[in-house]
Amino acid sequence: MRRASDMAAVAYALLIFGFIFLPVIVLAVFSFQGSQIPVPPFNGPSLKWYGAVLSDGRMLTAIGNSTLVALISSLVSTVLGFLAAYGFARHAVPGGGWLKGLIVAPLSVSYLIIGMGLLITFTRLGIPKSLFAVGLGHVVINLPLCFAIIYSQMGEHHANIERAARDLGASDVQVLTLITAPMLWPALFASFFLSMTFSWDEFIIAFLLTRFETTLPVEIWTLLRSGLSPKANAIGTVVFAISIVLVAVIELTVFRKRAR
Amino acid sequence: MRGRRLGPWPFIAPALAYTALFFAIPFVVMAVVSLWTLSGTALDMTPGFGNYIRFFTTESFFKAIRNSLEVTALVTIVSVVLAYPMAWILAEKVPVRWQRMALILAILPFWTSYVVRSYAWLLVLAEKGVINSWLMGLGLLNEPVQMANTRFATVLGFAHFFVMLLTLTIYANLKQLSPNYRRAAADLGANGIQTFIHVILPLTLPGIMVGAFLTFVLAIGDYITPQILGGSNELLMPQLIMLQILRKPDFPMASALSIILMIVVSIAYLACARWLKLERA
Amino acid sequence: MKSNHREVPARRRLIAWALGSTMFGFFAWQAGPAQAAEEINALVWCDHDDPNLIEPFTRETGIKVNLKVYEGTGQALSLIEQSQPGDWDVLVVDGIDVPRVAAQGLLDPLPDDKLPLADIFPPLLMEAQTVKDGKRYAISEKFGYNSISYNKEKVDPADMQAMAILWGDKYKGRIAIYDYYLPVIGMVAMGLGKKTADLTEADLPAIRDTLLKMKGVSKLVGDVATSQNAIATGEVDILVGGGEWVTAGLAKDNPALDFVLPKEGGVLWSQAIGIFAASQKKDAALKFLQYIVSPEGQARLATSSCYWAMPVNTKATLTDEQKKILRWDDQPGYLANSQLYPAPSAELDAKMQEVWTEMLQK
Repeated sequence: MRRASDMAAVAYALLIFGFIFLPVIVLAVFSFQGSQIPVPPFNGPSLKWYGAVLSDGRMLTAIGNSTLVALISSLVSTVLGFLAAYGFARHAVPGGGWLKGLIVAPLSVSYLIIGMGLLITFTRLGIPKSLFAVGLGHVVINLPLCFAIIYSQMGEHHANIERAARDLGASDVQVLTLITAPMLWPALFASFFLSMTFSWDEFIIAFLLTRFETTLPVEIWTLLRSGLSPKANAIGTVVFAISIVLVAVIELTVFRKRAR
Repeated sequence: MRGRRLGPWPFIAPALAYTALFFAIPFVVMAVVSLWTLSGTALDMTPGFGNYIRFFTTESFFKAIRNSLEVTALVTIVSVVLAYPMAWILAEKVPVRWQRMALILAILPFWTSYVVRSYAWLLVLAEKGVINSWLMGLGLLNEPVQMANTRFATVLGFAHFFVMLLTLTIYANLKQLSPNYRRAAADLGANGIQTFIHVILPLTLPGIMVGAFLTFVLAIGDYITPQILGGSNELLMPQLIMLQILRKPDFPMASALSIILMIVVSIAYLACARWLKLERA
Repeated sequence: MKSNHREVPARRRLIAWALGSTMFGFFAWQAGPAQAAEEINALVWCDHDDPNLIEPFTRETGIKVNLKVYEGTGQALSLIEQSQPGDWDVLVVDGIDVPRVAAQGLLDPLPDDKLPLADIFPPLLMEAQTVKDGKRYAISEKFGYNSISYNKEKVDPADMQAMAILWGDKYKGRIAIYDYYLPVIGMVAMGLGKKTADLTEADLPAIRDTLLKMKGVSKLVGDVATSQNAIATGEVDILVGGGEWVTAGLAKDNPALDFVLPKEGGVLWSQAIGIFAASQKKDAALKFLQYIVSPEGQARLATSSCYWAMPVNTKATLTDEQKKILRWDDQPGYLANSQLYPAPSAELDAKMQEVWTEMLQK
């Protein structure tokens, strides 16, 4: 009886793992396709599509752009979110419920609508499309997330330590940078990392708000629109490989240390 | 020297100002623009509800929101149903020291590029794609089955992403439950299934609802997945919105449609508001 | 532009300015590095987005070309709407839409003496569209047909001779429709015995019914990539709105793909290239335009990666093999048997799009 349920559990887990990994494996396998079209029969292996990606200057620029936008917008989101979380957690703010509501409101609004609002506003005001505009949009979507994560981690025990520091003569700024931030660094790091992930992968805002200089998802979309090609498989596989390495590094260094 | 205590405002003002400037104001601008109308190539800036009236009276427009709601509801249900047992297995059956590893493995494809993920499903589901080739190779099929460019493909593409997301959130929820609950239920004579239905499920419901709402919001506003996998055989709301600016510069209609979509999401939010309070626990 | 929406009342302009400068001042680092000496911005169809076409030009002249790809004149106008005057230098647009774009004052007249007008296939000069009051606003650069692409191993080529096969039951579920309302509506109109140039609102009900019938027997409606993929991977065997632009580029990998102009004819599409009136870099833009219509540029454009199609320059340096794939020698017959894209008024255009959306939703 117990045995049977374990077997069922294993089977189910394998099925779900299969479902989750199927497209990724197909993607990776057909990035080594020899011919133009990335569907069976497989007639590789060939590395020519990786060559095509590496010699595509625009694709590489787009990777750089995405990284830059993700880094800066995540940093801004984390800092603004942290400050706001501190303000709300350590002070009684009149009308605080409403103000907190305003800050987290973008969480329940689709990216498409946020992007459309920014596009229409920027167009009306004559602000040109740019990576900077995308960065602004990414802070809008990530700031509430950072705020919510950090705010939820600000416990009373932290407040006591801060009070002690203040009694010993630390200024507000000193408390914030020397006491609160180090105590909360796992939350800060999680916010930053999550924001990075979302910004790096975000399509629609970047699509609406850029022209020539654009981010990787938009560049991949443009590639897909010019026809079926294993090159898209190659770039997808490269991005996946980079992400896995990053996740592994973070897992092995940051979180392992934290666990001890 | 004791530092003078600053009030809350220096800390919360930047985030508030930012949200007001780049979220609230664009939203108001969009609401105003949605009241204008585009006739021919001329923009009529007299405020009116022309676009909204057109949406509710044009069947092909109105159908988009219906399609969107149907697809999103289906995605949410399928994802929860698939993810819950998975999260349960990870939390209960996998040895504790392997759990973290298994969990990371279960959400690893999360880190493929999102545009590429939909495209990869296209390769899997296409007429000459992997599944059809296998099934025909094994002799299970004589004719390829159409899977790409259908609603099924859109739902599957979405579910792929949200099963990962929900596995993560439900797992976190299950791990927070104290084992005492189950022991107490067992002591009172409940069997496994009774414990699950009367104790575990109600306790994890808030987590499920939060995940389901997140799924709903993210799925209903997504353009890429239906655009790549749905084959334009039907339009979902985001596709209709994008059509307004991809075929002609009809920003008023695009704004009106965005506002309508947003109202629909808000209604969903209110419906599950009691589980979604972002107040501190 | 006809609309008055650029004239904003003073007070609103002040608010807009105040908000704008706040948003701007918020992060001054945006200012960005100074641009390279010569850089032009071009709004183009995807075929221009090919290093084999652009790089030789940049190597020779030192002018960098930034490309933004769009699909359909409506989208181009939408993108122009989202920009500031002077943002764009070069526009590639459907030949049939040149009058519409020129009427909005977007284009600058071109100097005839600097263009190889004598080398261009005469029907493709399209002076009715490109010339107004003695001024030439654009020059054709590439053309082809929206007709029927099909897989000759899977369907009977004889069936492809009549347009009505596209909404008949014989190939039900094996048809894809190219998701661009103008050419496909044009084809349907021709199939119904109408002239694309004379379409009025009165023709729409019949077109609508036929479109819905066609949707009923089709498997999918897709943009350039989706419809190419569909026919290339065998998802469908017939593509409505296809033509050499679909099959020529795929010919090497899949020789079974072919295209035909049915007896009712095909819809002739042509792209024209022009220079924006508000451009600040008209000399560089003209150089690029001259390169595109030169024999070398024409050959590269005709065989660019997104889609192949006929060059307009009779001296284009194509190989015999390439000419064969493009059916160079069949052009006189094809041209005689084709009609231009419909060029509806803004009102009729909106109606057509509504019909199209309705078709998508069925």
